[in-house]
Amino acid sequence: MIPISYNVRSLMVRKTTTLATAGGIALVVFVLAAALMLSAGVKKTLVAGGRDDNAIVLRKGSGNELSSSIESPTVSLVLAAPGVKKDETGAPLGTGEVVVVIAQQKLSAEPGQVSNILVRGVTENVFKVRPEVHLVAGRAPKPGTDECLVGKGIAGNFQGMALGQKFELKKNRPVEVVGIFEAGGSSFESEVWANIETARTSFGREGLVSSVTVRLESAAKLDGFKATVSTDKQLQLEAKRETTYYEEQSQGTALFVSGMGWVVSVFCAFGAMLGAMNTMFAAVAQRKREVGTLRALGFSKFAILSSFVVESTVLALVGGLVGVGASLLLSFARVSMMNFSTWQEVSFSFAPTPGLLIGSLVAGALMGIFGGFLPALKAARTSPIEAMRG
Amino acid sequence: MTLLGVAVRNIKRSKLRTALTLAVVAIATLFFILLRTVIWSWTSASEFSAKDRIATRHKVSFVMTLPKRYAEEIAQIPGVKAVAYASWFGAKNPKDESDFFATIATDPKTLLDVYHEIQTTPEQKQAWFENRRGALVGDALAKKEGWKVGDKVTLTGSIYPGDWEFFVSGIYTTTTTNVDRSTLYFHWEYMNESLTGARKDQVGWILANISDAGASGRISKEIDAKFGERDLQTVTMSEAALNQSFLGMFSAVLKAVDIVSIVMILIMGLIVGNTIAMGVRERTNEFGVLRAIGFLPKHIAQFVLGEAAAIGLFGGLIGVALGYPFVNALVGRALEENMGNMFPQFRVQPGIAALGLALAIVLAMAAAVLPARKAASLKVVDALRRVG
Amino acid sequence: MSESHNFGGKSDIIALSKVSKTFWRGKERLDVLQDLNLTMQEGSFEALMGPSGSGKSTLLNLIAGLDVPSSGSLKVAGVELSQMSEGDRAGFRAANIGFVFQTYNLLPVLTAVENVELPLLLAKLPAAERRKRAQTALRVVGLEDRMDHYPRQLSGGQEQRVTIARAIVGDPKIIVADEPTGDLDRHAANEILNLLGKLNTEFNKTIVMVTHDPAAAERASICHRLDKGALAL
Repeated sequence: MIPISYNVRSLMVRKTTTLATAGGIALVVFVLAAALMLSAGVKKTLVAGGRDDNAIVLRKGSGNELSSSIESPTVSLVLAAPGVKKDETGAPLGTGEVVVVIAQQKLSAEPGQVSNILVRGVTENVFKVRPEVHLVAGRAPKPGTDECLVGKGIAGNFQGMALGQKFELKKNRPVEVVGIFEAGGSSFESEVWANIETARTSFGREGLVSSVTVRLESAAKLDGFKATVSTDKQLQLEAKRETTYYEEQSQGTALFVSGMGWVVSVFCAFGAMLGAMNTMFAAVAQRKREVGTLRALGFSKFAILSSFVVESTVLALVGGLVGVGASLLLSFARVSMMNFSTWQEVSFSFAPTPGLLIGSLVAGALMGIFGGFLPALKAARTSPIEAMRG
Repeated sequence: MTLLGVAVRNIKRSKLRTALTLAVVAIATLFFILLRTVIWSWTSASEFSAKDRIATRHKVSFVMTLPKRYAEEIAQIPGVKAVAYASWFGAKNPKDESDFFATIATDPKTLLDVYHEIQTTPEQKQAWFENRRGALVGDALAKKEGWKVGDKVTLTGSIYPGDWEFFVSGIYTTTTTNVDRSTLYFHWEYMNESLTGARKDQVGWILANISDAGASGRISKEIDAKFGERDLQTVTMSEAALNQSFLGMFSAVLKAVDIVSIVMILIMGLIVGNTIAMGVRERTNEFGVLRAIGFLPKHIAQFVLGEAAAIGLFGGLIGVALGYPFVNALVGRALEENMGNMFPQFRVQPGIAALGLALAIVLAMAAAVLPARKAASLKVVDALRRVG
Repeated sequence: MSESHNFGGKSDIIALSKVSKTFWRGKERLDVLQDLNLTMQEGSFEALMGPSGSGKSTLLNLIAGLDVPSSGSLKVAGVELSQMSEGDRAGFRAANIGFVFQTYNLLPVLTAVENVELPLLLAKLPAAERRKRAQTALRVVGLEDRMDHYPRQLSGGQEQRVTIARAIVGDPKIIVADEPTGDLDRHAANEILNLLGKLNTEFNKTIVMVTHDPAAAERASICHRLDKGALAL
């Protein structure tokens, strides 16, 4: 077999061409990796908010918290269901919450351009049920007041939502931002958390909650809990594991992003592949005598074929590595976009999982293999006589 | 025979290389046209909106409702011709939970007054008016679900739980493409009679048809001022402004589409530039001979740029030629039918096609600038030097 | 040192006086030609011979106006070339010099007659006039019937004849040939040399030819030998 160093040196001799072709492949791999990373980031952000041992209860058939409404008396029934963990005082660990979406001016956009922010009316239990949430600035709101917290993802990005500022939930119903919280990169970070009563009266949800979230004694207790909550025909409720719920919420958006990413990448990949083919055809033509000599020396057609395929693949891998490397820089960026299932604007990050990066690299290599195959075939057909032609 | 003519004929030298490069330019142009059409289609929904229609919603959130009597008050305002109200019902098809379409509770008569684009036969209109459980269904939706006039349809409510029974009284078509053809409209009374307490007598938004399109700004302000001191305040804007703000929420996606179209152009530029550079390198001696017989450096540059322009032109033309059937027949039809509210129109605009072609030519030439300069700046004797 | 002899009223069409040409390869200085004196008469057929690196190609380039001397005077067809700009020299070449190179002469995408027309594009002649002159030139070289053929349809010898047609289409005084028979077999080479001889005797063209081929050198009336940048006697 022809040693790889022959291919590497040949690539280095025609530096500009190699760089240009590798550059094209780098761009394609970058785009693919970026789209896949964003899709994974969407899933990660949305699922991050869930715990395996939390269950969320919604009105049957509502699909998400925004469309669901449950009467307040029902909340205590749910909290009394089997499988719900008790806290140190013996009270059930759970909370009913009111969820609504408001429109607020985005500071970085044109005036008049509003985005949807999710406002969650919470009880004092919220931190016990969601211990992953921590304050990073300011303090917790005093109970029963019109003070609120905003998540790290939206703090400072929207009108009136910085520490110490006020904004109106409805006319003459201002709330003051007294603290900022972080929540492990989950979608909670794109929410406003206000007192449940304030939320109820501001949004006309007196006597209602949107959802009930409970901590289970263990993840395995879900079935028992679900059975009790779902069977009562009168209540019309359904229970889900919190992680399952968030996974469903993320599906649409994640699919959209990765779908778009694939469409774009396929188009760009065709272009880059044709570019690689062009380069390799030119290289084969230029090295006709060289190849003829190799054949005359006794290297088989297959050896020539695989040598050129290898060369094309190495070229593509170089581009792929650059593309993947550049895409890693994206992991410092955040994208704020609308989650299609909840109408809420959430900020997502780019999640570089190893599998995804390797997959993008492989896609790059495949471009090289497919692009280089036909030229390699042509090279393999070179007859040894070419070595002696002038 | 002219210098430019010779430059263009040069692309015939290596048929394979030219074919591959033309393919790259064609793909890039096609993709550019597709992306631009996506953006255009999305944003055009706002341009095609009726200028004589304004929408009023709750100031704080579109999720919150307004009292129905607000509609009656809005009708009193001078300049307002007709008023309709509607609520988002949010029902689902029990047979397929993922099947998404809009269900809207409204007053049939005033809806058709305000939405003059919605058309149906007089018999179907009358049947709908008379049947409390009747529904007016968009033709695209009826086709997708296999519904015919007279069919009984049962949907599961999500916001308003339970099973809701409807009869397809009529099927509507639209006179313009920016109005949705996939909505199920039914009687607001049918929904309201089952509601109690705070949920009763509420509407999601109010639409008004105004007599003078130019007055939409003034009337909108007047409406909001009227309710400004009440507990439940409104925000009113023209349908065009509403669609614009809706679009803004997707700004990240639009920006991403923009970035991607630039990336594609970069890729194309790299590949075309590379092809031209390869060709130039191989023809150094030939250029030397041309210089020897008296051609100037600028002629050599014209040669290279002319060839690049030809590649851009022909590749771009192929891309446009492929673009029309691809976008219009393939992608366009699928999107218009299945996502008609987001992409009411998905056709290649002549302006976009022309822009794509122009870009292909300009970018191909831009990619050739460096190789052209390099070729032109070579000294005659260096160019003539025999290689190998 | 060759001296010019005025036989029968012929004048010097090419005159080099104390011509030197130096090249720099990085920091390395190469004195290819040093203090060269040489004259050629109009209507003469001159060959330049010598081993590789002797400077014969450099000398040819100077005579043809492709390059300028580092020092000294270079007068060709009555024009002092040593101080001329590249742009002016291009115009000079178009008017006075016809070129025949060893390879890469013809554009593969043009037919024979179109290749011959090429220099006339610079003269801005109308298309009909260009075509007429090109056909005439092809007739002189005996290839008028092949005028619509592409180079790939011609043999090596025929390609060189088309090249010669192109070289004379502008009616230049001097024809410069760099190894014109280098790529050809014996038969074709003879054809070319016959043609060059005909141009010299019948049309009074001055021919300056660089060659390795002794048979080619024999056709010339004067043969200069160069060695290490100087003319050997």
